Amino acid sequence: MSTRDDAPMTPSALVDYAKSLDCIHCGLCLNSCPTYRLTGAESSSPRGRIHLMRAVAEQELAPDAAFVDEMDFCLLCRNCESVCPSGVHFGAMMEHTRDALVKSGRSKPRGLVRFAFDHVLRKRWMLRLATRAGRTLQLMGTWRIFFTHLGKHGRLLADVPDIPPARERRRMPALTKAACDRRGAVAMLEGCVMPELYGRVNRAAASVLSRSGFDVQVPRDHVCCGSLHAHNGDLDGARALARSTIAAFEPLVDEHGAPAPVVVDSAGCGAHMKEYAHLFASDDPWHGRAKAFSARVKDFSEFLAAPLARDGLVRALRTDAPGQALGRVTYDDPCHLCHAQGVRKPPRELLDLVPGLERVELPYSEQCCGSAGIYSMLRPADSLAIFAPKVAALDETGARVLVTANPGCHLQWDTGLARERRDVRVMPLAEVLELATRPDGRVTASRPASGGA
Amino acid sequence: MDPKLIDGLRAIVGPAGLLADDVRRKPYESDALAYLKRIPELVVLPRDTRQCAAVMELCARHRVPVVARGAGTGLSGGATPVEGGIVLGLARMRDVLAIDPERRIARVQAGVVNSDLSIATAKHGLFYAPDPSSQKACTLGGNVAENSGGPHCFRHGSTTRHVEGLVIVTARGDVLDLSRPRADPLGLDLVGLFVGSEGLFGIATELTLRLLPIPPVTETLLAIYTSLEAACQAVTQVIAEGLEPSALEIIDKLTIEAVEASVLAAGYPQDAEAVLLVEVEGSEAEVASQTRALEPILRAFGAFELRRARDEAERARLWAGRKGAFGAMGRIAPDLYVIDAVVPRTKLAALVRATTAICRERRLKLANVFHAGDGNLHPNISYDRRDQDELARVIDAGHAILRTCIEHGGALSGEHGIGLEKLEAMEWLFTQDDLAAMCRVKEAWDPEGRMNPGKLIPVHTCMETRSALPSGGRA
Ligand SMILES: Cc1cc2nc3c(=O)[nH]c(=O)nc-3n(C[C@H](O)[C@H](O)[C@H](O)COP(=O)(O)OP(=O)(O)OC[C@H]3O[C@@H](n4cnc5c(N)ncnc54)[C@H](O)[C@@H]3O)c2cc1C
Ligand code: SF4
Ligand code: SF4
Repeated sequence: MSTRDDAPMTPSALVDYAKSLDCIHCGLCLNSCPTYRLTGAESSSPRGRIHLMRAVAEQELAPDAAFVDEMDFCLLCRNCESVCPSGVHFGAMMEHTRDALVKSGRSKPRGLVRFAFDHVLRKRWMLRLATRAGRTLQLMGTWRIFFTHLGKHGRLLADVPDIPPARERRRMPALTKAACDRRGAVAMLEGCVMPELYGRVNRAAASVLSRSGFDVQVPRDHVCCGSLHAHNGDLDGARALARSTIAAFEPLVDEHGAPAPVVVDSAGCGAHMKEYAHLFASDDPWHGRAKAFSARVKDFSEFLAAPLARDGLVRALRTDAPGQALGRVTYDDPCHLCHAQGVRKPPRELLDLVPGLERVELPYSEQCCGSAGIYSMLRPADSLAIFAPKVAALDETGARVLVTANPGCHLQWDTGLARERRDVRVMPLAEVLELATRPDGRVTASRPASGGA
Repeated sequence: MDPKLIDGLRAIVGPAGLLADDVRRKPYESDALAYLKRIPELVVLPRDTRQCAAVMELCARHRVPVVARGAGTGLSGGATPVEGGIVLGLARMRDVLAIDPERRIARVQAGVVNSDLSIATAKHGLFYAPDPSSQKACTLGGNVAENSGGPHCFRHGSTTRHVEGLVIVTARGDVLDLSRPRADPLGLDLVGLFVGSEGLFGIATELTLRLLPIPPVTETLLAIYTSLEAACQAVTQVIAEGLEPSALEIIDKLTIEAVEASVLAAGYPQDAEAVLLVEVEGSEAEVASQTRALEPILRAFGAFELRRARDEAERARLWAGRKGAFGAMGRIAPDLYVIDAVVPRTKLAALVRATTAICRERRLKLANVFHAGDGNLHPNISYDRRDQDELARVIDAGHAILRTCIEHGGALSGEHGIGLEKLEAMEWLFTQDDLAAMCRVKEAWDPEGRMNPGKLIPVHTCMETRSALPSGGRA
């Protein structure tokens, strides 16, 4: 990787300097950081990274290739924000720096994925075309040839799960009616990659909401919330998508005509949508609209655990101990749910509501699994190293089912457990609750984890 | 740096264990006291005692000074690099080697983080008692080097009471195993001598630590006072009556204001002048009887509000103000100077008054929290290290507060150590003879003076000792 000395941006513009001053250098964040735990290097810690940013802004240090590497090594898991006593906005600071590094031509690999960001993620038909092509390649067996040509970046593609058949990739209906006495109405985010790889999770979430007494509306013309753009150095793209997301959800109201809660079953998207306001300057009219929109955003678990919905869910739950068939269950906190949204209890409370379900805690469940958006593709070796201690922790629990609440983590666990040959099933929270509320169907215990080489 | 040394070190620790470029060395320029800084020549991160010994041996051959570093949460510049020196970091030595629930001991590598040990031993119903407020980040090796304390050390004692044995790599690279079970308690207590030596004697690589059974019940009481004096008197009375709470912590009005003004607001009343936190632990019966005895004392000295908590969530709420103090002050300015003042317990209120006056005169923003049971006061001053004038006033205030402590019969440090920060103050408290004795002990461990030189003991006193010896110093 080379750096451009003639880059138009001054070093101080690479950094959100004001935010970097919130750090009082106490070091309390070190041990929470997966990349520091892995390397023991202060430069790969939150305090170290902030120190480097500040040094670049104060022109004590050149933003060279090693600097870019330490910024790219960060998972943006935001575990550091959870423990920082000084309330440092690490995520926003890193997004700023990555955006500036890409703009000034200092960060090349992220340039590669820009094509996908600019084109594929924004248009539903492009996404569909891409997954259809991918599935065809997989079915023909040419997939393997394709990824071996990609070298080290291809290795992770080897782990991409089988793209599901078209039946599973069908779109959600614009409206799913409440299946019982109606308690209210919600809007749901379908997402960009989600319907292509995990459409069944979206449908499970909608079923649970409907069985708990909610009409579920889906804006059919909406595609992507822009979180991957923001995390990977494309703040302009993120802003455009934020505006279109806000506009798509603004008209959706509940039965009283009030703005409907926006329920999100992907923690990464939810975290980003709750923070839309920081994409816009405070005098930008979109700032206010973003704030109003963000106030409506709720994680699926957060929405269901609140009293009104919880009551509906409890009524919908089967009483014949549907949890028993699953065996021992453990829950892994997605970073963008626990650290970015502060949602820790609701998923656990919901699991504990399921009759017959045995739940144990996963040690170090708030440590990142290494999925981190597209990180696992950009830095496959690091991603694997970050994942390793997670498997060891899972082994300690003796759990048969690992529950998550984010598609990226789902994918990482699915492929990782297949690679490590563990007979543990990965289930999104929505699917567990769907099973437990299924009116007549059988509760099936074992379905082998999908994907894997 | 001699390229031979660099290659030799790389051969020992591997490429990932040697940090040589600008970006990777820069963050090691200071510990948590960020105004004292110097970029190290190299950073070496060994994996185990063997690698550590090889590194030290090579450094001895090249006559390179070595500064040990755990997590760099120290607050006295102990891990600040020295001229021409390397940093030997223990962050990659983070294995819990063995837990012996029968004998209630654990053997760990020095880079294990304090709170990770208690997490690992919890399944045996055991915990490691010393709990510095930095316990989620600081290393056990750093705790040994600083003889660290914490809120619960009032009852259980500071680190030195919990160290059973050590493996030490000496300045020359020899491995000194002081971790064998000592059937014979006689002989010189080298382990005791090493604890608190701030990296001046050698590198602790493996530690054998004592564990305690997790108390079945813990109860927290929070008493709110309209006068700081009253809170301090209540503490004195609690101790006089022979009660044994596990923690006695006070936060003052300035801290209450800072906390309440921040997002960390703990919900203290406006007219509170001091908040006293008392924690008792033990069996159901012990806790009940202690609490019964405590309540009237806390009220007798005028607590106008008393809150109690037993479950984890409630306890966290009561502790919120104490734990949030640091962060709340941190939000006021980019830097926070945590002073570590100690006086006899009865002088606490006087010291708080003096501290407040000292900071007011120097136009500094101050808040006090203290381990009241130990007479250990932490004045927290927020400042901006980029402002040279303000920095000078902060350092001056620190000196004035230390002098006040000495006048009141106190000490230079309760738990953060001397390091680089309080080097000068050593001469205010100790005589030349005291310091010369310390120099001789230091020289016995490290004759060439390459271990964390220029910290803890003022250098010139060592030089004077040396020139006073007939041989001119070196053995
Ligand atoms: C927010 C905050 C709260 C704190 N609260 C407390 C508290 O309540 N009580 C308390 O006592 N301290 C407290 N401290 C201070 C600090 O955390 C302790 O001194 C801690 O023990 C330092 O550990 P460390 O691993 O960070 O060591 P470092 O800062 O890296 O090093 C400290 C010293 O130890 C030496 N050293 C480190 N490891 C070794 C080793 N293996 N062998 C030999 N020498 C070594 C270093 O050379 C240095 O001189 C606090 C600090 C912060 C930032
Ligand atoms: S915990 Fe917060 S203030 Fe402390 S070093 Fe880390 S980022 Fe900085
Ligand atoms: S976001 Fe995660 S990986 Fe990045 S510095 Fe913070 S804790 Fe470390």
